[in-house]
Amino acid sequence: MKGVEKLEKVRLIIDGKEIFADKNSTILNAAKENNIEIPTLCYHENVALYGACGICTVEAEGMPKLMRACSQKVQEGMVIHTDSERVKKSRKIALELLMSDHTGDCLGPCRLNCPAGTDCQGYVKLIAEGKFHEAVKLIKEKLPLPASIGRVCPHPCETACRRQMVEEPISIAYLKAFCADEDLKADTFRPEVQPDTGKKVAIIGGGPAGLTAAYFLRIKGHSVTIFDAMEKMGGMLRYGIPEYRLPKKVLDKEIEQIACLGVEMKNNVKIGENISFEQIKNDYDAVVVAIGAWSSLSVRCKGDDLEGVMGGIGFLRKVALGEETNMGKKVAVVGGGNTAMDAARTAVRLGAEEVYVIYRRTRNEMPAEKIEIEEAEEEGVTFKFLTNPDEIMGENGKANKIKLQVMELGEPDSSGRRSPVAVEGKFEFIDVDTVIMAIGQKVNVSGFEEIELNSKGIISADERTFRTNIENVFAVGDATNKGASIAIAAIGEAEKASKVIDGYLLGMEIPYRKPFVSEKEVTAEMFADKEKISRAKMPVRSADERKNDFKEITLGFTKEEAMKEASRCLECGCHDYKDCKLIEYANWYDINPARFKGEKNIHETERKLVSIERNNSKCILCSLCVRTCDEVVKKGVLGLVGRGFTTTIKPEFQGDEILAFCKDCKKCAEVCPTGALKIL
Amino acid sequence: MKIAVGQGSCGIAAGAGKVYSAIESLLEDKQILTITGCVGMCFLEPIVDIYDNDNKLHRLVKVKEEDAENIVKAVEEKDFSYVENILISAEDESFLEKQTRIALRNCGKINPEKIEDYIKNSGYEAIKKVLTSMSPEEVIDEIKVSGLAGRGGAGFPTWFKWNAARQSEGKEKYLICNADEGDPGAFMDRAVIESDPHTLIEGMLIGAYAIGAKECIVYVRAEYPLAIVRLENAIKQAEEKGFIGKNILGTAFSCTFRIKAGAGAFVCGEETALIESLEGERGMPRLKPPFPAQAGYWLKPSNINNVETFANVAWIINNSGEEFSRLGTENSKGTKVFALTGKVKRGGLVEIPMGKTLRDVIFDIGGGIKDNKNFKAVQLGGPSGGCIPEKLLDTVIDYKELSATGAIMGSGGMVVMDDSTCMVNMAKFFLDFTTKESCGKCVHCRIGTKRMYEILERIVSGKGESGDIELLEELCYGIKDGALCGLGQTAPNPVLTTIKYFRDEYVSHIEEKRCPAKECADLLTYSINKDKCVGCSLCSKKCPANAISGEIKKTFEIDNNLCIKCGQCKSACRFGAVEVI
Amino acid sequence: MSECNCVKSDLSLIDEVLEKYKKIPGSLITILQKAQEIYGFLPTDVIYHIAEETGSTPAKVMGVATFYTQFRFRPVGRYLIMLCQGTACHVNGSEKIAKTIKDELGISDGETTDDGLFTLKNVACLGCCSLSPVMMINEETYGSLTPEKVRKILNELKEAAQ
Repeated sequence: MKGVEKLEKVRLIIDGKEIFADKNSTILNAAKENNIEIPTLCYHENVALYGACGICTVEAEGMPKLMRACSQKVQEGMVIHTDSERVKKSRKIALELLMSDHTGDCLGPCRLNCPAGTDCQGYVKLIAEGKFHEAVKLIKEKLPLPASIGRVCPHPCETACRRQMVEEPISIAYLKAFCADEDLKADTFRPEVQPDTGKKVAIIGGGPAGLTAAYFLRIKGHSVTIFDAMEKMGGMLRYGIPEYRLPKKVLDKEIEQIACLGVEMKNNVKIGENISFEQIKNDYDAVVVAIGAWSSLSVRCKGDDLEGVMGGIGFLRKVALGEETNMGKKVAVVGGGNTAMDAARTAVRLGAEEVYVIYRRTRNEMPAEKIEIEEAEEEGVTFKFLTNPDEIMGENGKANKIKLQVMELGEPDSSGRRSPVAVEGKFEFIDVDTVIMAIGQKVNVSGFEEIELNSKGIISADERTFRTNIENVFAVGDATNKGASIAIAAIGEAEKASKVIDGYLLGMEIPYRKPFVSEKEVTAEMFADKEKISRAKMPVRSADERKNDFKEITLGFTKEEAMKEASRCLECGCHDYKDCKLIEYANWYDINPARFKGEKNIHETERKLVSIERNNSKCILCSLCVRTCDEVVKKGVLGLVGRGFTTTIKPEFQGDEILAFCKDCKKCAEVCPTGALKIL
Repeated sequence: MKIAVGQGSCGIAAGAGKVYSAIESLLEDKQILTITGCVGMCFLEPIVDIYDNDNKLHRLVKVKEEDAENIVKAVEEKDFSYVENILISAEDESFLEKQTRIALRNCGKINPEKIEDYIKNSGYEAIKKVLTSMSPEEVIDEIKVSGLAGRGGAGFPTWFKWNAARQSEGKEKYLICNADEGDPGAFMDRAVIESDPHTLIEGMLIGAYAIGAKECIVYVRAEYPLAIVRLENAIKQAEEKGFIGKNILGTAFSCTFRIKAGAGAFVCGEETALIESLEGERGMPRLKPPFPAQAGYWLKPSNINNVETFANVAWIINNSGEEFSRLGTENSKGTKVFALTGKVKRGGLVEIPMGKTLRDVIFDIGGGIKDNKNFKAVQLGGPSGGCIPEKLLDTVIDYKELSATGAIMGSGGMVVMDDSTCMVNMAKFFLDFTTKESCGKCVHCRIGTKRMYEILERIVSGKGESGDIELLEELCYGIKDGALCGLGQTAPNPVLTTIKYFRDEYVSHIEEKRCPAKECADLLTYSINKDKCVGCSLCSKKCPANAISGEIKKTFEIDNNLCIKCGQCKSACRFGAVEVI
Repeated sequence: MSECNCVKSDLSLIDEVLEKYKKIPGSLITILQKAQEIYGFLPTDVIYHIAEETGSTPAKVMGVATFYTQFRFRPVGRYLIMLCQGTACHVNGSEKIAKTIKDELGISDGETTDDGLFTLKNVACLGCCSLSPVMMINEETYGSLTPEKVRKILNELKEAAQ
């Protein structure tokens, strides 16, 4: 019997593997049967061969031309390479060309602008559908602290939100906090932890970065221990963000969720004091340094060493720890960022009678969030714009007055912001008890002397592998590279690093690579016909009430408010991103379509059927829809129109009967390899 | 006495119809007036041939309507001094004398509308011979001996295709003639059909017999209305004479003929696209295999050859394959017809044996470059071919030798360029063509040619960037590797050959923003040479942009901010004072 | 496709053509060519009618019609200018001819003048390469064109139309 079988089969070699395939089989199918995946966009087993996409090309030894694996039959003795340089180059060019005429957003601007890449559009949609636990599950694929981050994040997602081209951005951050709160109430989502790998990871620093790394590494089955110098976990979220913005009860619950996965948390451990870095390095397979940036920068003016001058972070930490601040009644906060706002508003709550914010530019240039500035004003904070400390004056070594240089705006600097210039000879004076410097933070690396620093004195870690100069030591968050940034950025780094570290622990080197995504340009005119629905206002306690205590300012959305707000989402990102073969292959071959930038075929999205939305701007003319309609459904409703570069696919419905049929058929949309056809 | 007025499409376009009518109205014995097709001396059209009573030919060229009177006088008084002024010069006569005509053997000699004329010139003798004394295999063998290869471009051995179709199983087989001569700059197929349609019919009948087809289809370009009319007429006449239809010449062989007019798509010159089009579909190429010889028209075994290929067949049967194979080189047998055009002194149809050089065709037969300018390049093979520079003019006409240059033999378009032609713009011209003619099916051709065109466009408009040449080359090789059909696979050839031989022109456009041929308007600056300007103001009057100002009898000046670089001032100036950099 | 959906075409005009060809497989292009001869262009309702009569679908017929440059979907002007795009014409300055036509009539490829007099269509090589640059207006071929010559021809046609 074996002999008979051999007669019907041919022997060939694909990628060095000997294969016996049916003599009528194509290379594509022979490879597939042997678990060698050859990419293709236009082949489908249900319809006749077509050969349009040219992605399935392979090289056969002794043949001058590349061939299409979808149509080429196997031949005895063939030696096929599906992954040679020539093949890869050919596929890459095909994909780059396709992408150069593919207009659409793989991901919404919200997700693209989130440093952690959270699927904002995805969870907003789930919230709109009332699926709060599922929303949290989706968020936690990237971010394990949604209730906390939802409250404190300056939400770059909202900054990018296209809904503001209609009226205002979606309230993405608060929606995140809302669903996370809902989730924490009951039936809290908890991820599955993979079986133990036997690998041990030490994480130094229990702030947002450390906690995130711990969460994702633990899920992968590694044994994780967090060491933190403070008495509780949370880092800056606990000690740098005031209670009225982030109640510590909320943070505790989220940290508890991480601890529940089996993450060991060791507090009050200071590296270099309670345990040596050397020992941790030796005891653990991998070490993640996520120590943050806890020292405040100073303005460096005369008198900045007087008693009564303190750093913003230090001040907030003292308050969080319940320590005495001795700040007196008149407090000046120097700086325009969120930490400055936190410090000023905390001072108000601690009973200061006069609180000033000293900022050298104007309100427009302030990096703090608008709402923070407004709320601070409501609470009685006085803003001294266009001023800069020239000298802190004092008596008996204690600050009591601040001399302010009056500034004006000059030419824009490299960041595009107009730089402040001193108005010569013009000064102001304010009486103060305390000056809080909140103009930035720096890293304190004592205990980590072995780790290489960059020129700014910050830990140097590779941006794609997060590795330091020490073999098994990785570093993420505020303590690395560019220094302090927002929490979600640290979380993003930690999440990416956790994948690299997971690979490292398993003996692989998988550096982070920013995925290629298709993006399109939009203008406000495109949204001109959208109905205007204003953004849900987050209810807050009145200024008079809230300024006297540390209770949370925001009151939270109701379910109805949240669902309504979430339903404003324009759903910019492609519905098909997860299943899109085009983007999958694009990332296999590391494409750069920008070099073939040119005219694109742009089409309006249309809905001739109630059940299918057609976006020809995303169509790659694989014609699977047309061929399926012809050959499988046998209706011939779809056709190619025109020729050459401007070819499109269009349906022609003759009569109501066919419309009714098409409404339920949807076979065309099912076979579409991109997001050009969407089932509604 | 016989007067024959050349009535090919370009003769008619040059005024041959009016000349014919004028002669007809003056001539007493209208019986002696007849027409011919195109003799291929396009540069001399309209042409009137007078055969005197000794059957000596007096060829009159560039004939105008008003010459009719003298022509009639010459004929009626048998005095050719009347037409001495329009008699062809000895030099121009050499254009034909230096040719060897097989495919074009009857063109310009016989009346294409009369089957009798064809029969008089050994017409339909080959089919008689084949049907009465040869088996299909013997026919194929004879073609094999001849070495005839497909004249449509690829140069595939004709016998091999015939044999493959013959060997394919199936009762129904088709013989198809590709007369979709789409290469812009080639018109030999049109000339054959217009001037000698029966040659095509006879060649196809022999092919049909050889492969076992009972139906012949001629797929003709829609842009060739006269060819369609003459072929329809010829088919009708052949049917009447019993050369087409049932039991041809009393044998068991039956064969029908029909014409299918194309509808405007260059890609339909590709075999499988042509078949799609014949079936009434969009002319998009099919995946090969299967090849048409196995599954072609209606998935039946089909053979496709082009017009010129068939035009050689009857001659081969009549004169033997061996005789044919004596002409040419080792790799390429017989003759090839070229449509010689462009900046050449004597343009027209040139049929020469393979093995002659490009220089022979362009300089010896074509007379060299017009207006005493310098030869720069010759384009062969149209959008699938390439530009060959002067240093390769001695390349021998042979499939292999020509391919080695990066160009191809192609269907025979031969466009000559002088140094006023910008090679980058030339490449752009062809890419514009392929972009428009791409069927849109495969990615490489649909988007790749478009991107190539865009890059070329930015180069000629002065927006080229360094790296563009390399990017073009990368695209070229990518498209060659990935495109589905011949159109896409060869589309990069004009770009690759111009980069190969004229790279410095690309560099000038990109790096110096300069067009050495002074053709790319965006890169030109017009100025008036003060020493030459006499202040006549003609340039200023001609300028459509009011960019030229000055005082009469003093000098004029061009405001380059207003100048639209139309060149009208330069052509208007009688003193050569307008200069272009 | 067509802007003339509003106008109902007389579908009976192609009865004869359909009768003759609809049974012959592969005749769609021929039918469309005949339809265009009858209507001057291919109105949408005619395309739908052909689809129905030939047992095809409108999408297929539309697909074929839009593939070939010969087919038009709106009426053409009284004078159809077909400007040759061949290589020889290019080498001999057809770009200047196109520009002259654009300057004189204000139309580019595929467009018709507002007065409905002229339609410009760029066509593939007309095969009169030795007369290049060449254009064809209705049945007449004009060769060895120069901008001046084109202006003269167009002006003559304009006058003839009045």
